[in-house]
Amino acid sequence: MKKIFTFIILVCTTTLFSQSTLSGKVVDEKGNPIAGANIYIEGTYDGASSSETGDFTFVTTAAGNQILVVSFLIYETSRTPIEVAHFTNKTIKLRENVNSLDAVVVTAGTLEAGDKARVSVLKPLDIVTTAGSAGNIIAALQTLPGTQNVGEDGRLFVRGGEANETQTFVDGIRVAQPYGASTNNLPTRGRFSPFLFSGISFSTGGYSAEYGEALSSVLLLNTQDEPDQNKTEISLMTVGLGLGNTQKWKKSSLSVNTAYINLAPYQAAIPQNVDWNSPFQSLSGETVYRYNFNSGILKVYAAFDASKFDLNQESVNYTDKVRVDLNNNNFYFNASYKGGFGTNWQLTSGLSYGYSKNKIGLDLDDVANDENASHLKIKLKKSFSDRVKIAFGADYFITKFNENFTPNLASTSQSGYNSAIAAVFTEADIFFSKKLAAKVGLRASNNDLLNETTVSPRISFAYKMAKNSQFSFAYGDFTQTPSVDYIKYSKYHQFESEKASHYILNFQYNKSGKTFRAEAYYKDYSNLVKYDTSSPVYNSVYANTGSGYAKGIDLFWRDGKSFKNLEYWISYSYIDTQREYKNFPIQATPSFVADHSLSIVTKYWISDWKSQIGFTNSFATGRPYNNPNETQFMNGKTKAYNNLSFNWAYLLTQQKILYFSVSNVMGTQNVYGYDYAKNPNASGIYNRKAIVPTADRFFFVGFFWTISNDKKDNQLKNL
Amino acid sequence: MIKIFTATALFICSLLSAQGQFEQGMGKAFQLWGAGKNTEASDMFERIAAAEKTSWLPNYYVALVNTTTAFGTKDKEQINLLLTKAQNALNIELAKTPDNAELLVMQAMINTAWIVYDPMTNGMLLSPKNMELYAKAEAIAPTNPRVILSKAEFQIGGAKWSGIDTKPLCVQIDKAIALFATFKPETPFSPKWGLDRALEAQKNCGK
Repeated sequence: MKKIFTFIILVCTTTLFSQSTLSGKVVDEKGNPIAGANIYIEGTYDGASSSETGDFTFVTTAAGNQILVVSFLIYETSRTPIEVAHFTNKTIKLRENVNSLDAVVVTAGTLEAGDKARVSVLKPLDIVTTAGSAGNIIAALQTLPGTQNVGEDGRLFVRGGEANETQTFVDGIRVAQPYGASTNNLPTRGRFSPFLFSGISFSTGGYSAEYGEALSSVLLLNTQDEPDQNKTEISLMTVGLGLGNTQKWKKSSLSVNTAYINLAPYQAAIPQNVDWNSPFQSLSGETVYRYNFNSGILKVYAAFDASKFDLNQESVNYTDKVRVDLNNNNFYFNASYKGGFGTNWQLTSGLSYGYSKNKIGLDLDDVANDENASHLKIKLKKSFSDRVKIAFGADYFITKFNENFTPNLASTSQSGYNSAIAAVFTEADIFFSKKLAAKVGLRASNNDLLNETTVSPRISFAYKMAKNSQFSFAYGDFTQTPSVDYIKYSKYHQFESEKASHYILNFQYNKSGKTFRAEAYYKDYSNLVKYDTSSPVYNSVYANTGSGYAKGIDLFWRDGKSFKNLEYWISYSYIDTQREYKNFPIQATPSFVADHSLSIVTKYWISDWKSQIGFTNSFATGRPYNNPNETQFMNGKTKAYNNLSFNWAYLLTQQKILYFSVSNVMGTQNVYGYDYAKNPNASGIYNRKAIVPTADRFFFVGFFWTISNDKKDNQLKNL
Repeated sequence: MIKIFTATALFICSLLSAQGQFEQGMGKAFQLWGAGKNTEASDMFERIAAAEKTSWLPNYYVALVNTTTAFGTKDKEQINLLLTKAQNALNIELAKTPDNAELLVMQAMINTAWIVYDPMTNGMLLSPKNMELYAKAEAIAPTNPRVILSKAEFQIGGAKWSGIDTKPLCVQIDKAIALFATFKPETPFSPKWGLDRALEAQKNCGK
């Protein structure tokens, strides 16, 4: 027995004590020592941490051929096969991990907002706590550089582009009708409540080959992956009511939001520049359902919106007011799936369907139109390594538009179009190092209505020259089917796509709560649609012979650190742009462009008052207008525009908020432009009428109540 | 006969050393941690985690060491690295056992560190998530003193801002202290921290 015992001990000691000593040094790509790296033999506990000088030494009982692992968070983990007995004084070089937080990011043209963005110019809350935005995503984006504030329209105008040159996507799938219906100089607003979106990426140019059919800009909205908890939200506002509910289950969740807006009581209380027969009313709802699979997520989003109004508008051409009534029904459905499979493959796929129906009465004439639009998309992405990723996919857009125009006592004329666009795209993301990255893509698309195939290259680079600052450059060609205003009269493939090329140089500096961004760009437009009549009609002569350019500088500064409890940002844009398009006789600056725009947004939190107080000031120099009394085209210029808005959110209790906001505090008499009479008066002068806001000031009071189990959450983020 | 005998002896040896190895390794890591060598301790836990895929404890301690270090660190970049490391380690274990109350408390602790890092951005985002994590942990382990303590502590932390009454929360702290007295960790290395913190919190409650 004793012998056996001795034997066991002997065997044990020999297996336990056949030791080797390993030593070496861990360095980065430049040969600088890395301190604090973890070095060990895979599958054993034997290892060490590197010292300040990068040196390490440790003893192991493992023998023979082993794998030596060296890991440190901001470097790629290295695995080297070694022979334990002969590993002394070896140097191990670690490569930078290009996924780490301080790696370069391609930023040219892109303004990010949301949780996932590395450098966020807007935080999710900002969309709604910005004074003057009133929960309208579009209004908040108008405080960013590169946008024009076109008060009588309300849509996004980006860098000298028309509003329809911006395309909106929800979870990567197009939204054909992103704005509420409106007419003649009454501003519209975005259809989407900020409540359901957690990330917004707004590109003012040079965007990825994944996105097509947009000449100027893309707005990418992503619905939340996972809501935080079950809750009910109630809003009582001077303009209507809102109700929201979120339910969460083990693998899925559902959010529903509805709102009823009626401006009648408000308009009775505060005099308007508009004579309403029946004020604006709308009933809208949105819902998102999410289901989590083991390695993917399915999201279904649906929204409907029914709105109507009826008003009498003054017109310079008639002594009596012109009656306008509008009735719009809109439905949007979007389903998308995103998930991983195989080795480092990712699949993104989805489809959308949008339906919009308008009935517009203009005095005694009637217009009825409806649009059915659908988008199907599939994208595959493969990560070959942390440094090389390749994506490719296909898009299919179908649009069907019909319009019936019935003039007073005359017969109905019909117009419309059917179009199908099929596109394929591919794009590679390449990191040369942590400092230099490139994105190279190509998009090819075929449009059956125009009988045309286009190929658009896109390329961008980013270079990080110092710890907190980097340059990016982007170039891209973009094409878009002409506006529905023209192609509804399309015959025999008479139209071609409009085209633009973007060149963008971007500089970004980002350090602990402060962001500075400067961007210079040049845009070259070609193939723009021209026509020979005062407005586009069925018998106009159309030709794709227009052209134009836009160049300018956008500056942005955001600081949330220098002053306690104060967040602010400043945006400045300078633009020089001219176009020869539509029925312009010469190349000229369009009426929606102001040369200089400046926005200052501030938010101040006062804990003693449990209040957040915000101011937004928007300033823009005058916009051009055409005065037919003068010989030179587009020679007029309006006076400068200024609007100071104020808001105040007061926490009654943690879950009850009282909210107050007022726009144009100073009561500035803003003029957006002028409408001139079609014909001169008796003394040969064309009369004019100023285009002004519907009300000089807008007041809003609301009460927002959240009911949830934790008794903490509130709707501050929705305001 | 000799062959069988040697094989048996070797087998016993490997068992003995493997068993001893885990204890020894963990013991050494705790020793390093106790001596304030946080990086070395975290590295040791990480090595054990890489070798012992069946135990959730090594990764749990990688997360705990790095998160507690982050609370005592001023340099923002460093905090970012520490918390990222903690989160990576915790993710491995949460994927295996999503219903482990200790892991849920750990996740809430990392979130709290992010809230401290940037209250304006992360407060709104992560506070409700934390309340959800604590609710889930409490449902799984209603008598785990760390669950009760951490939840109450987190709410007291938020009370300065929201102005809610802290009295019922202090009652919860007392309850946690009572639970610490009876709490038996499952293994010698299972989490058992928290009593000091509870007593500290109780003192502040008295004021």
